[in-house]
Amino acid sequence: MSLGPVLFLAFFGIAAIWFGVVVFRTQSMVRSAIALLFSQTSVGAMFLVMQAEFLGVLQIMMMATEMSVMAIFMVMFMMDPGGMGKMDMTHQKRLSLRAGGIGLVAALVVIWTAGWQGPVPEVPGADEQARMLGREILGRSMFIFESAALMILTAMIAATMVAVAPQERDRP
Amino acid sequence: MTVLSGAREGAITGLRGLIARAMARDLCAFVVPGADVARARGLDVGAAGLHRTDTPRHANVLLVAGPVTPALVEAASVVWAQMPRPRAILALEAGDIAPLPAPDAAGVLAQDGLVAGLADLRRAFVGGAFAEQVADFEAPALTTQIEYTCPMHPEVISDEPGKCPKCGMVLVEREVSGAAQKGHEGHEGHEGHEGHEGHEGHEGHEGHEGHEGHEGHEGHEGHEGHEGHEGHEGHEKSPERPAQAENTGHSAHAVHAPEQPATYTCPMHPEVTSDRPGSCPKCGMDLVPRGQAGEHGDGGHSGHGGHGSHAGHGSHAGHGGHGDHGGHGGHEEHGGHGSAPDIPGIEPHFMSMVGLTEGKPVSPDGLVMEWIDAPFGPFFPGLPGGLGLTLTLDGDSVVRAAVSSHASGPPAPDLAAKDLPDRLAALSPLAPGALRELACRALESVSGIAPGPDAATARAAAVERERVASHLNWLADLARQTGLSWLERRAAALHQGLRAAGTDEIARRAPAIRALAGRVRRTPLLRDKLAGIGRIGTSGAEGIVGPVARATGLATDARADDPAYAELGFATLTQTSGDAWARLSQRLAEIGQSLDLIARAGAIALPEAPAPLPRDGHGMASLETPRGKATLHLILKDGSAGTVHLTTPFAALAALVEPMTRQMELAEALTAIASLDLDPWGVDA
Amino acid sequence: MSIVLVLLALAIGCYLVAVFEGWAVHGRFSLMRPAISALALLGREQILPRTPDRLFFETGPILLLVAGLLSVAVIPLAPGLIITDLAIGALFLNAALAYVLVALIMAGWGPNGAYAMVGGWRFLGQFIAYAMLIVMPITAVAMRAESLSTTQIVLSQAALWNVVYQPIGFVLFVIAALGVAWLPPIDLPTGGGDLAGGVEAEYTGARLAVWRLARLVIVVALSGATVTFYFGGWLGPWLPGWAWTALKTVAVAAAMLTLGRHLPRLREERYLAVSWKLGISLALANIFLVGVIALLVPI
Repeated sequence: MSLGPVLFLAFFGIAAIWFGVVVFRTQSMVRSAIALLFSQTSVGAMFLVMQAEFLGVLQIMMMATEMSVMAIFMVMFMMDPGGMGKMDMTHQKRLSLRAGGIGLVAALVVIWTAGWQGPVPEVPGADEQARMLGREILGRSMFIFESAALMILTAMIAATMVAVAPQERDRP
Repeated sequence: MTVLSGAREGAITGLRGLIARAMARDLCAFVVPGADVARARGLDVGAAGLHRTDTPRHANVLLVAGPVTPALVEAASVVWAQMPRPRAILALEAGDIAPLPAPDAAGVLAQDGLVAGLADLRRAFVGGAFAEQVADFEAPALTTQIEYTCPMHPEVISDEPGKCPKCGMVLVEREVSGAAQKGHEGHEGHEGHEGHEGHEGHEGHEGHEGHEGHEGHEGHEGHEGHEGHEGHEGHEKSPERPAQAENTGHSAHAVHAPEQPATYTCPMHPEVTSDRPGSCPKCGMDLVPRGQAGEHGDGGHSGHGGHGSHAGHGSHAGHGGHGDHGGHGGHEEHGGHGSAPDIPGIEPHFMSMVGLTEGKPVSPDGLVMEWIDAPFGPFFPGLPGGLGLTLTLDGDSVVRAAVSSHASGPPAPDLAAKDLPDRLAALSPLAPGALRELACRALESVSGIAPGPDAATARAAAVERERVASHLNWLADLARQTGLSWLERRAAALHQGLRAAGTDEIARRAPAIRALAGRVRRTPLLRDKLAGIGRIGTSGAEGIVGPVARATGLATDARADDPAYAELGFATLTQTSGDAWARLSQRLAEIGQSLDLIARAGAIALPEAPAPLPRDGHGMASLETPRGKATLHLILKDGSAGTVHLTTPFAALAALVEPMTRQMELAEALTAIASLDLDPWGVDA
Repeated sequence: MSIVLVLLALAIGCYLVAVFEGWAVHGRFSLMRPAISALALLGREQILPRTPDRLFFETGPILLLVAGLLSVAVIPLAPGLIITDLAIGALFLNAALAYVLVALIMAGWGPNGAYAMVGGWRFLGQFIAYAMLIVMPITAVAMRAESLSTTQIVLSQAALWNVVYQPIGFVLFVIAALGVAWLPPIDLPTGGGDLAGGVEAEYTGARLAVWRLARLVIVVALSGATVTFYFGGWLGPWLPGWAWTALKTVAVAAAMLTLGRHLPRLREERYLAVSWKLGISLALANIFLVGVIALLVPI
């Protein structure tokens, strides 16, 4: 990998981490959601730098919409979504610290012990990648994706059913 | 070279000169008191080359079209404060507009005056848009004091910044002037953003379910029934502990002293009690006597009985939970905190928002969001000018609507009886002819002089002309609100042509007006947008009058009893469905009917006060104005109008707004309100 | 070089669109008016509303502009005259346009005002309505071209434009595009008569100028996308390719700007209901039909 992509990769990586930190450092729920969005966007940009165009763009696209939807749920369900009350939203710090530490150690262990084979010598072109991805999704992995889709759909319907407040007229 | 009253600070450079010339050619006006009033006063803002904006932020000209009431001037000064500099005022016969600065251009209240005023304004912009030194402007309504309140506890109000004694949150500032009500958009924002209070609480419950970071429904479901709850009795379902209350870890839970007969307690941590004043070991807040903390104390939860109707809705994010807690007999188990086994890694007492959302209004959708009071008036585009409308919004649905008139003004006392028609006509720019007719009829009833049949029909034709004009004016406003710019232009143009036209002129224009009515009916999707909006049943329609009543199916029309109209072959038109579409259809039908009546009358004459007038007497008259029946009681004393009591349809129609808009989406609520065609002028005169 | 040319074309396109919009809104055709208005806007004071979320308030217009420019990047003006001919261009366009939503939410939340906030969140609802309808017709277009590259998509229409090949998809895409650019009758976030400017209501001066420019870029990008996907891009006789693209784009933009003004603003709830109940069904049917035709008839 030449220097340019490495620099970009590092930049977007740091941006992803920075926005991730902002998620927890800000008091405004909406800012928090948007920061998470841009953290994920940075991850998508890292995909792009690594020449995984389809995955990167998909990540960038999906996160924009998902996090925006999340933002409105934050506004609806959280108190003080604007952070005007300077409220401390952190909790269970000790547990979080432990979990975070364990996660970090695990990630480092994986990074250091994995048998990296160096940069992939030949990255297929983006159109070829998209084609291969399509064949994978519509071939071997179709069952997995379809079942996942069905589960998500079920979960969505169930969540909606739970969320709909019974009206007076619905009662027997 | 004169400097604009609202010049922008800056040295005059070549570039700024160019910009100033561009501004002079791109004047955007915010019309006070409203486009409908401006049209009714004979102004065609668009034809004069002035672009009308929806918000003062995008305007650089404040156009004051004609005389306005003091309340409206005060609101206009808020609008003026919101406009970006360079800005200018164009006043057309507006009278005294202090505290607004003196107008940069003035003129007569007519299209010529507007055009001439604009020409002056353009010159003023070229020369005086920028100045080295500019004067500040502070709207009196905006300069009242600032107070500080807790976002969670609106009852906590302080003159100084600080922390809320109940929850320790930082108090936020807010305006307490009338600005929020009177301004165009009067900085309603504070509540807006800190609002939307939701309910994220019950994390305490999550612990025992082993779900971290998931808040919400499932957690509550577990507590829906008693049995579910008692099973977790020991677990914390603690009340509130938000804000600065720093989570100090498990050690904090050593502080449980429920058995002691405590007199002081922490507002945040009811389990912290002490027999003497001091500060809370958990959050450092001052302990308060038990009674004061009651709201958030153990007993506080019984207060949630108010949410009882929501109990059992597991899906009610917050309130289901609250109600259930109430059902538990007000958390008597709080006393049991001490015995609660702490689950490792889970801090009890994490901010459950039970207390914080307590007393917050409940929406039918179950979300505890902060409600926003947003002003929609008195200069809101698409609503009648001068109409004060404050909507309380829960998200984007309307929970409360308050309608008032900023345009009411009593006539001067001791006014000579013969001046009454003019003075009454001047009260309402939207229906001057009808009020003049009403005044003349009342004077005639005092004096006992009745007009001849020809004069009566000619005067009826004048009222009908005003009805057509008024309905067209309303149509232009409705078009503005629904985004039909072609209809706004067309209706406004026809309105201008018809306002003061004679019978020949009206006959010439009638086909175009009828064609417009037909085209409106055929506009795609318009019926879909209006049908079902603001429906009034005949049962809820007692006391309402005018086209709104007739669209509901009530054949109430003061014209039906009028011999002059009987001679013209008048028959009351009605619709049945009573929604916004029916009101539109009704008005379109009435436009056609009125054109027929004018054609049959053959002449138009404005009424004159009868002479000679008796010096004393009592008279009463009523008339079907374009918006419904208006009544005038008049007592003459010694040649002047001692008592003038005018009843317009405004009050009856305004009373419809609140029930009609309840729980409607904002845009639909505004459509419903616009469909009523409220005329706030001349109320309570 | 091609970047400069495309940006130049974009600037001219934006100006023309502004002229058309002025014509549609004010009923007066004036070639000078957009320039004058822009200059006047730049000279006005920039007001910061009280207690804003300053970061969001400032970022909103810029993010909107960036989203518009990125979406223009994959629209081919002529063979080779494209900023970046990505292999997954059609998907990239979607990704860029998704940030229109983010920009509007930020601009709505930032100024701390009720009108703006309602407008911003309203756009989220509007997004829920149009999101599927912009992706699914593009899917059908890409199916025919057997590629997500916008250049390939244009080339696939050599025999027959997609507007004829898949008219259902075209109609759905245009309706969705009106939603993306919040053009009438789907201008819910700014709705003149019911939100008094909505998300735009608190912007003044240069910020408003950036916002309006960004909006124009988005309109041009969407017209360009419509031309690329449905009107055969640069394909056409006699004239050079870039001229065809430019002509078609301006024509589509003018149609999008003017036609909607003859309809009343849609009710948000109706737009959502129709989009999901009718729109998505039709979009699925469109994908199915295009698939069947692509298999059976080799055009």
